[in-house]
Amino acid sequence: MNLIFTLNGTLTSLPDVPSHATLLSILRDRLGFLGTKEGCGVGECGACTVLLDGEPVNSCLTAAWKAAGREVLTIEGLAPADGLHPVQEAFIESGAIQCGFCTPGMILSAYALLKRTARPDVEEIKTALAGNLCRCTGYKQIVDAVQAAAAKMDRNHDNDVSGG
Amino acid sequence: MTIGTSPARVGSLEKALGRARFGADQGERGDLFLVCVRADRAPAVIDALELDRALAVPGVVRIFTAADIPGEKLLGIIAVSKDQEFFADKIIRHRGQTVALIAAETESAARKAAQAVEIRFTELKGVFDAEEALADDAPLVHPGRADGNLMSRRVIRKGDAEAALSSCAVIHEAEYTTSFIEHTALETEGGRAWIEDDRVIIKACTQNPHYDQADVARFLGLDPDRVRVIQAETGGGFGGKLDVSVQPYLGLAAWLLKRPVRMVYTREESFLGTGKRHPFRMKCITGADADGHLIALKMDLSADTGAFASYALAVATRAAVHGTGPYYIPHVDIDCRLAYTNNPWAGAMRGFGVPQAALAHEGQIDAIADKLGMDRLEIRVLNALRPGLSTATGHVLSGSVGIVECLERIRPVYEKWLAEVGTSSKTGRGVGLGAMIYGIGNTSVSNPSTAQVEWTPDGRIILFTGAADIGQGSDTVLRQILAQRLDVQPERISLVRADTDLTTNAGATSASRQTYISGGAILEAASVLEEMVFDRFAELMEVDQLDLKMADGRIWVTGSPASSMAVEEIVQSLADQNVRALGNGRFDPTTSALDPETGQGVPYATYAFAAQTAVVNVDRLSGEVRVERVAAAHDVGRAINPQCVEGQICGGIMMGLGMALMEEFVPGKHANLENYHIPTMMDMPDIDPVIIVECPEETGPFGAKGVGEPALIPTAPTIASAVGQAVGKPMRHLPISLERVMEALTGADNED
Repeated sequence: MNLIFTLNGTLTSLPDVPSHATLLSILRDRLGFLGTKEGCGVGECGACTVLLDGEPVNSCLTAAWKAAGREVLTIEGLAPADGLHPVQEAFIESGAIQCGFCTPGMILSAYALLKRTARPDVEEIKTALAGNLCRCTGYKQIVDAVQAAAAKMDRNHDNDVSGG
Repeated sequence: MTIGTSPARVGSLEKALGRARFGADQGERGDLFLVCVRADRAPAVIDALELDRALAVPGVVRIFTAADIPGEKLLGIIAVSKDQEFFADKIIRHRGQTVALIAAETESAARKAAQAVEIRFTELKGVFDAEEALADDAPLVHPGRADGNLMSRRVIRKGDAEAALSSCAVIHEAEYTTSFIEHTALETEGGRAWIEDDRVIIKACTQNPHYDQADVARFLGLDPDRVRVIQAETGGGFGGKLDVSVQPYLGLAAWLLKRPVRMVYTREESFLGTGKRHPFRMKCITGADADGHLIALKMDLSADTGAFASYALAVATRAAVHGTGPYYIPHVDIDCRLAYTNNPWAGAMRGFGVPQAALAHEGQIDAIADKLGMDRLEIRVLNALRPGLSTATGHVLSGSVGIVECLERIRPVYEKWLAEVGTSSKTGRGVGLGAMIYGIGNTSVSNPSTAQVEWTPDGRIILFTGAADIGQGSDTVLRQILAQRLDVQPERISLVRADTDLTTNAGATSASRQTYISGGAILEAASVLEEMVFDRFAELMEVDQLDLKMADGRIWVTGSPASSMAVEEIVQSLADQNVRALGNGRFDPTTSALDPETGQGVPYATYAFAAQTAVVNVDRLSGEVRVERVAAAHDVGRAINPQCVEGQICGGIMMGLGMALMEEFVPGKHANLENYHIPTMMDMPDIDPVIIVECPEETGPFGAKGVGEPALIPTAPTIASAVGQAVGKPMRHLPISLERVMEALTGADNED
C-alpha cells in the first residue's frame, strides 16, 4: 500500500508498504529515523515508543497502516529547530540519561504525559512511564527530570501567556 | 573546581535528540545482514547440516560454518581459558549455540534462511547442575579435559577455621542460592563491519574494544593491526558486552565476502547467545564469640558456569576473596568451585560473583546477631574492617576503609525506620540492612590503562582514551579529572575514545576500574605533557622549571606574575621544533598473586565499601513484596561527579531489587521480556537518602575509587533481610518469588 501520514509535522508518502510492516520497521529501515529504538520486539520495553496522534504507542507492535492519515511524532521531531524541548533539557540537566537507549521513548512518554497533566505527581509519573524500561538509572533521576520538565513547561506557558 | 561538580554528561545532548548511533544503528544501504542459526537442544552431536533449502532462499549470499574459520576456533576473554566455539564444530554444548551464520541481502531473507537450516543431530546425555557436574560419573561437557567439569577453583585459607569453630560461643550454619540472571541491557548486541585497505573494520557496541580486536584477529588468522575495532555508542553492558558477541561473525563475513555486513541480535538471541550471572550455591558455617566478634568462617561455594569459561576464573576468585564481606574474621576456610554444565554460559555480570557471596555473608551476620540478641547494625560496626586489620586474603588494609563511616551514616535512617516498622513479623513490614566490600580493578593481575593528552598549537586539548563509556559516564568523569589537572574547563577538552586505531589499551570497562585506573593513566599523561611544556618554557624564559605552575591556560613563574606565557605559544614553539605536545600515561594498580594453596596475597590496591537499608511490605495473602524505601551510603573515595555517582547507586539498587525479587533466567523457558521481568518504574522505591562517603584513596585520581558494581552488591541482601524480618524467617534463596514468600509464610519451605 501507499502510506500517507504526517511524520514530525511533514506530510509523508511512502509507496509499497507491506501490510505486515510495523511502524517501527518503516521508520527505521525505510525512512532512516534511527532515533526510535528496538529493545525487545514484543512491546515490553518501550524503547520503540512514538506518539500517534499524541498518544504513546509501541511502534514495534503497531502496524504501519494504522498511521495512515494520522500524525506520528518521533524523537527527531520534538525539539524546535534552534534548540531543545524542555523535556530534553530536563533529562540532560537531571542526569536522567545514562546509556541513552531508552531515552527517546522515555522522553516521548514523558512529553505525552505532560501534555495532558501539567503537574503530575510521582505516582502519576510512575504510572505513565511504567511501560518504558530503563536498566541504567534506577528511574530516580528520570522522575526528577519529568518534574523539572513540568516546571519548565509551566513557566514557558506562563511566559507565552504574558508575552502573547 | 571541576572535581565534585556535575556538568552535563558527555553525549547526553545527542542521546536526548535521538542522534546517538548505537551498535544496532550502524549500517548503510546495500549492507548484507547476518543471522546466526542456533541449536535448540544440547548436548548433541551434529550428524549433518542441511543447508540446501536455506541456500535456495532468494537473497542468501552465503552460509558459514565452523569449517570457514580461517584462524583459531576457540575464543575467550581470559587468555588461559579460551574455550568458546563461536560455531559448534561437531558437538553442540549448549542450547542456543551457533552452528551456522547466514549472510543475505536483507534481514528478512537472512531470518527466513536461518529457519530453513536443518540440523540433524544425535542427542547426548547432558548435565545441567553444578554439583551434579562435579560428581565422578557426570557426563563431560568438554571430553578429554584433565580437570573434567571443574572449570575453576579458588581456595582461601587463613588461620584454622575448623579448630576455631570448636571454641565459638555461637555458630550458624545455612545454605544460600541464587539464580542465572540476564544482563538485559536495553540495547541488544549489534554492529557493522567492512573492509578498508585490506583491513577489517568493525564498529559495534562493546565494553572492551582492544580485547575485541585481539580475539577477532585470532579468529581470522590476521595480525591484530589488520583489525580495527571502533566502539559504537553502547546501550548498557553490565558485563554482558565484555565477551565478544557479534564481532567475530561480523569480522568473518566481511573478511571472507569483502563486503560490508551488519548484524543485530533480537532480544531472543541476546538471551540465548550471551553470558549470564552465575547461579551460586553457598554453604556457610560462621562462628562468633559471646560478644559478637566473628571468629571463624567456612564456606563451600559452587556455581554453574555453563558450557564455556568466559570469566569463570575471575568469578571463582572474586566470590571467594569477598566471602567474609566487609568484616574482619581471623579464621577463614573458603572453597569455591565453578563447574561446566550444558547450560548457556555464565560470565561477567556487575560484581563478578560478589553480589551472590554478599547474600551469604549478610545472611550469616544477621543470624549471628539474632542468636546473640544483638542489634544487626551494632554487630556490623563491631566487626567492620578498619585500617590495620586484614581481609580474608591477609591483605592488611591501610587507608581508605570507609565501612564504619558508611554504617554510621546509615544508622540514623536505619534506626528511624526500625522504630517506625518494628521487628514483629505480624505487621507484614520489615527493615533490612546490608553491607559490602568490593576490590577495584582486576584481581591479582596486572591490569593497566594507558592514555594520551595532547595540547595543540591552535589551543585544542585532546584526551585519547581506549576506555569504553557504556552509559556509566567514564567520558564525563575522565574529562573532569583531566580538566582539574590542567586547570581548564571540561568543555574545552575534546575526546577521542575507544577506537583501536586512535587510542591505546585502557583495559575493559569492568571491575569498577575506569575512574580509578584510566583516571590514573590520564593524570600521568597530563604530568608528562606538563613537563614538556615546562621544559620548553624554562628554556625560552631562562627560568628554573621548579618554580613553574600551569593555570588558566598559561604557565606562570612563582613570584613573578609578569613572566607568564600562554600554553599555546609554548606548544607552537615545540611544534616549530617538530615536537608534538603529547603526554603518554600509564597506571597499573599494585597487586600481588594469590597463593594457589591458601589464597593469601594482595588482590587489589583499593576497595570500595557500602551499607544500605530498606523497608519492605509483604502482602500476606498474595506473597507480593513491595520495597517501599531504600537508603544507601557508599564510600567512593572521592565523587568526581556526584550526579553520576548517584545515578550509579540508584541504578545499582534497581538491578539489585530485580535480583532480589524477580529475576531468574531458566534456560529453555525465558527468551524475552514478556516472561523475564526486570524492574519497571512501578517497582521503584523511594531511594532517599543517597549518602556519598569520601574516604580518599591516596593512589586514586583526587582520591577516587569506583562505584559501578558496589552500587548493586548490598541491595539484594538488604531486601532479603527485610523480607525475612517481615515474614519471620530468613530468606536465603533468590529470587524471593511470590511462591517462596508464601512457602515461608505457611511453613512449607522447610527452612528453620
